[in-house]
Order: sequence, then structure tokens, then C-alpha cells
Amino acid sequence: MKLFRSNIFLWCLGIALAIQVYIAFETPIGGSFSDAKMLAMNGVQDVTPIKATLLSYDPVTKLGRFRDLYDDTGHVVMSDKAYATKAAVGDVLVMSVAYDKQTATNNLVDLIRVNPMMTFPMIQGLGELGRNMLFHVPMSMVAFIAFLMGTIYSILYLIKKDFDYDRRARASSAAGLLFTALATITGSIWARFSWGTFWNWDPRETSIFILLLIYGAYFMLRSLLEESEDKKARIAAVYNIIAFVTVPFLMFILPRITQSLHPGGGGGMAGGEAPIINLSGKVHTDRTLLNMHWVSVFLFLFVFLWLKDVYTRILRLQDKQTEEN
Amino acid sequence: MSSWQGVLRKDLAIEFRTRYGLSAVIMFLLITVAVILYSTPGEQLQPSILSALMWIALFFGAMTGLSRSFIAEEERGTSLLLRLYASGESVFLGKLVYNVGLMLTLAASALLFFEFFFARDFHIRDWPMFLLQLSLGAIGVAAVSTILSALIGRASQKGALLPIVALPVLMPLVIAATDAMRITLEVSNAWDGVRGDILILVSFDMAMVLVSYVLFDVIWRD
Repeated sequence: MKLFRSNIFLWCLGIALAIQVYIAFETPIGGSFSDAKMLAMNGVQDVTPIKATLLSYDPVTKLGRFRDLYDDTGHVVMSDKAYATKAAVGDVLVMSVAYDKQTATNNLVDLIRVNPMMTFPMIQGLGELGRNMLFHVPMSMVAFIAFLMGTIYSILYLIKKDFDYDRRARASSAAGLLFTALATITGSIWARFSWGTFWNWDPRETSIFILLLIYGAYFMLRSLLEESEDKKARIAAVYNIIAFVTVPFLMFILPRITQSLHPGGGGGMAGGEAPIINLSGKVHTDRTLLNMHWVSVFLFLFVFLWLKDVYTRILRLQDKQTEEN
Repeated sequence: MSSWQGVLRKDLAIEFRTRYGLSAVIMFLLITVAVILYSTPGEQLQPSILSALMWIALFFGAMTGLSRSFIAEEERGTSLLLRLYASGESVFLGKLVYNVGLMLTLAASALLFFEFFFARDFHIRDWPMFLLQLSLGAIGVAAVSTILSALIGRASQKGALLPIVALPVLMPLVIAATDAMRITLEVSNAWDGVRGDILILVSFDMAMVLVSYVLFDVIWRD
């Protein structure tokens, strides 16, 4: 496509990605009073960020009354200075709060005033790691779209016998493999800090491993065939279609019915359904995080389309060169 | 006689004459079982281990036996004749039915070996579900090996290519079947536990048979 060859498009995409990365890392994360209490009681962490609206401040007892995102009211021990310099009644704040187990009070450590639209919720057990939801999940989604497009191009090749479809199928699957690898890398970094090791053979990890094997085999098959270009392309197209039959099983079905460390596995999560991937097909998560997640999907989709376009053009040039020789 | 039955009869006649497929597969199974038994003397084998071992043996047994169907055709140089004699779909159906039969025989002999050699640990608690998952798994393995061996048969380098391309494609099936087998070895009323796996097996089999039926013609005609 012509769009992918314009410099303006590439600059816009690059800048948008940079902004997205900045947002993903810099947006404050705020939980609730019950999160802070639970994490402190379980000994996970003493200081927890809380997102809440300041309702009133009592200068005598130094207590600020807040309403958090679940509409629970909580009291935080503040100082006059913090109140005077950083907060006003009605402000939405993200504050670091130390929960004292002995006295059951919240003590203010630090606080910032935030744009209520630009905060991420604290997901139990993830904390700061929840930011990876803007990379890992969109990358997996784009990988699926890439494999789907590769298969559609393979079908088109078999119908129309036009070599260009074969090149596009190859480029789409290669980009899909790249995004699968990226999702695996971001996922295993996430797993390292969330579950303790880079690789746990969780059902979803097994699935993505098999997916890498399948599309690895696709490219291997292609390079091992010593046939005419036409026959090679036909065999590869058939294998690509057969390979795609397994993708829904690996990406959608198997991880949902087996016990998994990932959210949305057969066992379900403590405290209700998993936020995004669950059996009822509903999304339960904060609006801001969800919207930013879709922005990520959109941006990565354009990255994929651009990569696919570049690789298709490389393949076209290679074919042209072999024809000339 | 419709022509797919002719293809089936031809393959069966060759098999009875040479007994290549079945004996290769049974040798493979025996060796697998012997190695497992040798390396685990006196050990209690859990259902999870046993189900994984059985499906590994079945998978690689299938790769040695079932891969022959089209590759042998190419090696003997009879594929051109077959192309003249029968239509693409009858060749596919004949080969598929033959492979399903071979795979079911393989599964039955694997079951026999496991019952005999692992008599202490291998107790099937839910027979109907066990046989259901075993036959559904066997059909899926046969369907995938049929289309993929046709695919590889067209390539000039055949040797080791089939396991490489078939193993990852069959993984979802093998995982579901292994899980279902483990449950039937553990509990006597297994339907609630295996329902999801059985659904996966049925849909995988149907999808693979349909897709390969449609795609076979593309590979078969030159």
C-alpha cells in the first residue's frame, strides 16, 4: 500500500508509539483502601498506591476523608503541609499509603494530584506489572490477526494463482511469528516478576510455544523444499491453511478449559471473573486501561501492516532478481 | 464398487502382503514400552505419566506407519497411475479410511500392551470415555497424517519432514487426548472431567477432515 511508503505516516506511527510507551510506563496506578489493607495484612507490601477523591480534611486530627474507586470511604493521616501544598477538597489524588497493622490506620507517604481519566487501576497481585497489559495482550492479538491474514492470502493464492498473494501470505505469517515471539518475550518477563520464573509451562505458554513451532515448521518446510516456485508456493499455502486450523484451539480454547496461571483459565480467579479473558466473553476492567489497550492494539496493528508491506516488497524484489539472473 | 473402496482395497492388499506399516508400528510400540519398563523398575507410574507415555508412543508410531501412505506411492512410482485411475477425492477417502483403520489397530495394540505390561498401574476406570478419547484421537492423528504425508509426498526430500511438520499441528489434539486419558484413568465417572477435551477432539477432527478434504485436490493434481 502507498500509505506505508510515506514518511509522514512512519513519523506519525513512531511518535504515537513513543507516546504510548510513555503513557504505559508513566501513568500512575492507584488501588483502593481494601487493596492497601489486604496487601499489608498479607505481608506483600507495606506501601500501596491508592486512587481516591479528597472529601474533607480535619486540621485538628490531621485526618483526610477520602472516597476510593469502589466508593468506599477511608481515612488517611496527612499533614497540614501536604494538605496545603498538594491537595484541595474535591481533587482526585493518587497517594502512596502505608497501612499500619497495629493501629489499622493509613499513613500518607506521598501524594500527587492526577487527571482522573489518566490513571490505571491496581490489579490484585500485579501492581506495577499491570502496565504490561498494554504490550503483551495487544501483541498476542496482533499475532492472531497476522496469522489470520496469512491464511486468507494463502486461500487467495490457491484460488487466483497469483504469486503476489503467496508473497503476502509469507510476509503476514513472518510478521505474525515476530509478534508471537514478542508476546512470548514480554510474557516471560511478566512471568518472571509475577510467578517467579521466566517459563512455567502454563497452558498458554505451552500453546504459544507450539504456535512458534508450527509457524517455524512452515518456514522450515518452505526452505527445505526443492521444487519449482509454483509447487513450493502451493505446498506452503496448504500447510499454512492447515496450521491455522490449530490456531483457535491453541489461542482460544485450550487455555480456557485447562487450569492456568493466566487469568481466564479453567479454575477462574479468586474474587470473580478474570478481567479480559474469561468464559462469558465480557470485559471487566477500568475504562482508561481498556481504552489504552485498544490504542495499543491499533498501533501494533499498523506496525504489523507496515512490516508486512516492507517484507512483501523485499520478496518481490528478490523474485525479480532471480528472474533476471 | 465405488473407487475409494478400490483404493482402500489396494492399500489393504499391499499391507497384508508386506505387513510393513503394522509391523513397523508394533515394533515401535514394543520398544517404547520396553524402554519405559526398563527405566522404571518397581516404580509407581502415575496416570498423568502413563497417559503421556501412551500418546507419545501412539504419535511416533503413527509417524512411522502412517507416513507411508503417499510417500510409498511416490517411491514406487505408482502415483501417476493412481492419478489416472481414480479421482482426487476417492484417493483421499480411500487413504483416509485406510489410515484411520491402521491408527485404530495401532491404538488397540497400544491399549493391549499397556494393559499387559503396566498391569499394576494402568487401570482404566471409565471404559466408554477411555475408548471414546482413544478413537477420536486416533481419527485426528490419521486425518492430519494423511493430508500432510500427501503434502510431503509431493516434495522431493521426504525423509524426516513429516514428524517436523505434523508434530506441532497435532499438539492441540495430543494435549486434549492426554488430558482426557489421564482423567479416565483417575475417576470412574469421567464425563464431567473430559467433556471439554472430548469437544476439542471432535471439533479438531471435524475441522481437519473437512479442511484436508477440500485442500487435497490442490496438492494431488499436478
